[in-house]
Order: sequence, then structure tokens, then C-alpha cells
Amino acid sequence: MTTVRFTVNGAPASAEVENRRLLVEVLREQLGLTGTHVGCDTSQCGCCTVLLDGEPVKACATLAVQVEGRTVTTIEGLRAPDGGLHPIQQAFVECHGLQCGFCTPGMVMSTAGLLAACPKPTDEQIVHGLEGNLCRCTGYVNIVESVRRAAVALDGSRS
Amino acid sequence: MASTAPADVNAGRFGSGHSVRRIEDPTLVAGTGRYVDDVSLPGQLHLVMLRSPYPHARILSIDTSAALAIPGVVAVYTGADLVAAGVKTMPTPCPFPRPDGKPSAVAPLQALATDTVRFAGEAVAAIVAETRDAARDARDAIAVDYEDLPSVVTLADALADGAPRVWEPAGDNWVAQAKHGDAAASDAAFARAAHVVELHLVNQRVAAVAMEPRGVLAYPDAESGRLTLRLSSQMPSGSRDTIADALGLAKDQVRVVVGDVGGGFGMKTGAYQDDIVVGFAARTLGRPVKWAAERGEEFLVGRAGRDCESRAALALDADGKVLALRIRTDANVGAYATTTGVVIQLLIGPWVSTSIYEVPVIDFDLRAVMTHTAPVGAYRGAGRPEAIYIIERLMDAAARKTGIDPAELRLRNMLRPEQMPYKNPMGQTYDTGNFPSIAKQGLALADWSGFESRAAQSKARGKLRGRGLATFLEWTGGNQFEERVTVDVSADGFIEIYTATQAMGQGIATSYAQLAVDVFGVPIERVRIVQGDTDRGVGFGSAGSRSLFTGGSAVRVASQRTIEQAKDLAADALEASAKDIEYREGSFSIVGTDRRIGLFELAAKQSERRVYVDSTSTVSGPTWPNGCHVCEVEVDPDTGEVDVVSYASVNDVGRVVNPTIVVGQLDGGAVQGLGQALCEQVVYDRESGQLLTGTLSDYALPRADLVRAFRTELDQSVP
Repeated sequence: MTTVRFTVNGAPASAEVENRRLLVEVLREQLGLTGTHVGCDTSQCGCCTVLLDGEPVKACATLAVQVEGRTVTTIEGLRAPDGGLHPIQQAFVECHGLQCGFCTPGMVMSTAGLLAACPKPTDEQIVHGLEGNLCRCTGYVNIVESVRRAAVALDGSRS
Repeated sequence: MASTAPADVNAGRFGSGHSVRRIEDPTLVAGTGRYVDDVSLPGQLHLVMLRSPYPHARILSIDTSAALAIPGVVAVYTGADLVAAGVKTMPTPCPFPRPDGKPSAVAPLQALATDTVRFAGEAVAAIVAETRDAARDARDAIAVDYEDLPSVVTLADALADGAPRVWEPAGDNWVAQAKHGDAAASDAAFARAAHVVELHLVNQRVAAVAMEPRGVLAYPDAESGRLTLRLSSQMPSGSRDTIADALGLAKDQVRVVVGDVGGGFGMKTGAYQDDIVVGFAARTLGRPVKWAAERGEEFLVGRAGRDCESRAALALDADGKVLALRIRTDANVGAYATTTGVVIQLLIGPWVSTSIYEVPVIDFDLRAVMTHTAPVGAYRGAGRPEAIYIIERLMDAAARKTGIDPAELRLRNMLRPEQMPYKNPMGQTYDTGNFPSIAKQGLALADWSGFESRAAQSKARGKLRGRGLATFLEWTGGNQFEERVTVDVSADGFIEIYTATQAMGQGIATSYAQLAVDVFGVPIERVRIVQGDTDRGVGFGSAGSRSLFTGGSAVRVASQRTIEQAKDLAADALEASAKDIEYREGSFSIVGTDRRIGLFELAAKQSERRVYVDSTSTVSGPTWPNGCHVCEVEVDPDTGEVDVVSYASVNDVGRVVNPTIVVGQLDGGAVQGLGQALCEQVVYDRESGQLLTGTLSDYALPRADLVRAFRTELDQSVP
């Protein structure tokens, strides 16, 4: 067993883990952060996407021991300090960018990573940025629209 | 409520017909939804399944001793253990006889296989341990001695002379046959037809791939002896009944609870074998037991859809009017023919085979066939997409043969509004519909006549351009038209409505709340929709395109009944006659006076501090949503890459409660259809019987780049 110390959603966290333990298992089962979902076992669906030092990663393809000393942000950490929705979350609500909601945390986190790296994405950049996230309900059109709207909202809040 | 707007204005904006933002979403986007694997209980054990690597094999022995020796392993169950404990097989009654007229005979569906496995992935043992890791390690330590037997996975192989049999006592691999129509009249029509077209159509097997895999958290209550199961299910009540029967429990000894459901699309209807195994383990061990399906398991055992081959022919007169439709279909229903798997292909789909067209005569001969593949069940449309695919492909073939424009040929054969109500050759009565109007609007929206110039532009860019046109007709309600709803107006200011239909992403909580707002005239924040608890109410659940149609209607009726009942209470409170009481936007008043009492204030005056109504109501029969969809694609002739460049549709889905939700359903459904057209197929290796598409790396799903825009319109002008 190894002790892993890292920062989750701005707060320090530690977990005793076996070396084979995946980040997503620690988040869900040891830290109770069940907003990060598991939709597959081959790192295809993207439901478990979180930010690792600000970059989107699939928590099912990340070993817990890899995050030692690093910073993880999950869907639960995206909300504003006052508890309100983050502009990306708000955009998904406004654009009907979700139906069953299971892929949504991963979609939102991928969007957060995409917009951090590319604040004014073209449609090509959006669909490329969401390439690693599967949705079975929406047909994606409203998800892409949600990302467009989030980009505008975040751009506005920056200027 | 801190609002300056009058209550009625406020409420009206959230009633039906408006694109109200979904009340489900703030929770789901925040990651605080409660899907089945998000709930854990103290002391819970973890269960994993050991699944057969063979598509057909005799189980000679199972050695669990090494598995049981692994620290943390609590129990290992085999099929024999379950049989010894009295666990029953799952009933799969078939309403149709075999082609030889004898009653249908299929292999009994067991929670865990005992002597023989009949598809790759069938569970043969369940391991329960203190941790998931220990359970998985133990799974690897179980030694099963199999005798590999020959298998068949394709229809052709299953029907060949001397084919290996899935269920030996049947003597062959036939499950059932249904014949519909008038074969002699059809033969006569084909004999005199000016044009005949015939097609061989394969509708490949596809996987539902709801993003949330199934799961079960089962926990016994020592005092009452009751068993509770949290499931990811579209049909909590039916699942409860099946699980209770298999475990030998009275229905009221089992409670099924469903939280948020991460997509269903039909594959989460009814109980699975896995549910019974987990329930059994929890009861036997007296502790909570959780099983979460891996994606690979969902591909192996989750109910897939479609998988049929049809020879279909259309007879037309010289003017292109249809004289008769002949269909011969063989459906691969898998190793264990489930009732839904058979009925979907032999009855439900055929109900709409003639779709919106006037087809005087039909001759259908439809057969279900067993193979060594996972059982087939309901998936998105369940038989109706298969049926529509046949008639629409025939229309295109007939257009080519006759030289008539495909849109014109369709219009020539469409039923006209003045023919309603119309009984189709399957005996199904369409109540209303203006199919030519919908089709013309769809063609106009798609700029049907402007295609040639767009094709020329594509050609100039080095691309080939093509298009597809399809109309459709839906049958709704699942032939289960009764729905029970409870309404609880509480003193704390909320109207809580319970319904046994089940949300799975289709936004029915929002739509129901809007219907309640219509009746109660209160702000939507005052309405709470509760689903997914068989202790609070049972019903058919959400399948067969029925939730808003039957459940929504029931919510409306129950809300109206609540106000009627409350009027009597208000009359008492206001010391007036009930006939003098009127209700408006949250309060009762005596007509012509200013004496009034608020709805919630009235609830507070009751002994139970609530007004409670238990309402059961029924809708009259199925409705027939229909539409016209036109899709254009560009194909790169060098790479074969397909680009969906246009998708336009006009749809008559009846009265629209929430336009944004309805359009979202239509667009999402269209992308699932495009997935089947362009990239999806469940593939079994013909020689080995192995599933080759067992992961999301192998089974290709549409991604965000597939469709860039939809033009989707709703026509509510037809009653």
C-alpha cells in the first residue's frame, strides 16, 4: 500500500492505495466523488474525465499513484464558491446539452480543459476536443452548442 | 416566492407548450445525480460474474476451491447452487407456434447456467467478496472444465441442414412463426402487377450502449425479511415481479428502487439474470451486495436490437399505386428467445409495416430463429424501425423501377386525412394523421427539388452527393394504457406527484411538472415529480413509447381529480357549497366573493396536513406519431468518408409539452439511426462464435463530428 497525497477540488486529500488502484476508483470509492462516472473499461467513453493540473485526463486510465503532489479537479469542484453553476454547466443547461446526464460530467470537464487551452474554439476544434467523449442520447449537436455558448460566457467574464 | 409577476403569468410560462429548462439538469450537470453505482451501503459486498468464453459448451465441472481460499472472498455461487436453493428459471412465454405448428420450445433462461452454456458471455458463476479486487482475483481462480460444442451465430448457419442445435429438444433452431395477411390475395395482386420490386434486406444487430452500464445494489432487511434492489431500469415494477418469482418471494417482499438512469433505449426493460443472482446473494448472505456491469459485460449480455433478414416485395400498378406488400423475415433472437425479442419482430414491428401508405393487401411470413448469441430484446423503436426500413427501401426501389420521383411515388400512395380513422391490414386503427401535409413540409424544408444543384456543387469540390428520404409511423403506448398516479399536496407548499413510469434521460419529470402546472397554476418550483420506487406505486414502466402519452395524461387527470377533491375540502373550510367553489392559480374561492383559501393552506388544515389523491386513469388507445426525414451526405470518392451535410425533418408527434425536449429526442434518435447506417454493428465471429465487438474500441459509436446541424420541425396542426 502506498499513501498518495494530492489536491482535489482545492482541498488536500490522501488515500492509502494499492499500486494498481485507478484514480477514478479513489475518487469514487474512497473520496465519495461519484460525479466522475465509469462508462467503459477501455478508456473510450470519457465519462470519467477530470482535470489533472488543469489538463483533461481520463481518470480510468490514470493510476492513483500518478497524481502524487498534483492537483485534480472533478465535476464537484467546478461549481462557483457560492454554489452556483459554473458557466460551462450553465451552458449545458441552457442549450439542452444533456439528456440522461451520465456522460455530462465528462463532457463538462473536457470542455473546461478545451476552453482553458483554446478560449475561442472553432467548431472543428470543439468536435476534436470532444472526440474522447461519447454521448448516446443527444446526438451531440446541443453539446457542441453548449461549448460554443460556454466559450462566449467565459470570454465575457474574462474581459 | 420572491417574484413581482402575478402568479398566473409566472406559472403559465412553465406550463405545457413551452421550452421550460429541465428541472433534472441542475443536479445532473453538477455531478450530484444518483446513478446505480453511485450508492454504497456500509458493509456492502461486491459481486462479479464469471462468464463463459465459449458460445456453446457443456459444463463438466466447476472448481471453486482456489477462489474461496482467496482472502476476502465470502461466497462463490454456481448455477447448481442456485437450483439447489430453489431459484427458478425466468419465464419466456412465446405467443406464437413453431413453423411446424407445434408449441414453441426454447432453452430455459437460468440466472446462472447449470449444465450447458449457449452464448459467449453467459454467466456460470458469481463471486462475492469484501472488495471488488478480491472478487476479480477469485474469478480468475475458478477452474471450469468445459466440453466445447459446435455453435452457430448466423441465421444461415442456424437454418442449415444438420446445424448444431441451441435447444436440443426443439429438433431444430426455429423458435416461432407468425403469418399475417392474405397470401392468396397477395399472390393475385403480384400476378397482375405492372411493376414488382424485391429486395433482400439485412438489418444488422446493434447494441443499445446506454452510457451507464447496468448495476444492482441488493440489500435485505433482517426484521421484515424483505429484499430491496437498486437497479438501473426502465421497468421497476416488472423487474420486481420477475425477481420475486425467481427467488420464490411474494411480490410485496421485494422492493425495487431506481435513481437516475443513464440511458435505456429499451435495453433496460425487464429483469436480467444478473439481478436475480445479486438478489439471491444478498438474501443468502444477509448483507448488501453490489454488482456493477463492466462495459464488456454489457456488450456480451445486454439486450441488443434488430438482427433480422427480410425478403420483401412490393407490387404496383402502372400508375405506381401499391397493390400488395409481401415480407418474409427471419429474425435472430439469440440463444434464449425472450418474449419481447420474439414479439417485437413478429408482431409489434409488423403493426406499422404498411406505415402511412395505402396498402390493400399484405402477406407476411415472419420467423424467429435461435443462435448461440446473446438474447435480443428491445432497442430504440423495437421492431418499428425495422418495419419502416423495409417499406421505405421498397419505395425507393419502386421509384427507380417505375421512373417516378421517390417523393412523388410516396405521395401517390399516402393515406389521405379524409381516410381517417383508418384500419391498416394488421388491424391497427390510425385515429388521425395528415401524412401528405407532413411529407410536403418535410420535402420543402429539405429543399428536395434543389438537390441537383447542390449535387453539382459537391461534384465541383470533388465530392459525391446523395440523399435519403424516409417517412415513418410510430405506434405508442405499449398496449398498456392504464397508469396510476398519486398526488400529495402538502402543507409545506409542494405538490408531490408519484408515477410508476421511469425517467432515463427523456426529461419526463419536467414534462410532467409542466402538465401539473397547467392544472394547478402554481410555479413549477412547487411541483416535485417522484419516480422509481415500487413501494410507492407500480405500473408498466417506460417502454413502448408510452411515458408522456400514458403517464402524462394520467398526471393531468390526477391533478384535475385532486382539485375536484380539494374543492369539497375548501367548501368545508369556507363554509360554502362545493358547487360555489372555484379554483384558480393556487387558491379556492367562493364565486363572486373575496373569501378564499390557498391550496397549501387548505392542506395544512387537514388532519394529515395534506391532500392526497390516488388516481388511476386510462387513455383510449395508441397514437400514431409520424414524420418525414430527409438526409443528404457527401462522400469522398477517394477515401469513402461520409459527411452528413444536411438533416431536415418535419414531425407530427401530437401535442408538444416541451419543444426543446421533443426536438432533442428526435435529433438524438436520428443520430442513433445514423450510427446504424454508418458505423454500428454487433459482430460475432462465424467460426468461433466469439463476440468481436466487445468493447467501445471495436463497436463504433457516432461521435461529436457526425452531424453538425439539424433542422427539426414539429407540426401540431393535426389533432
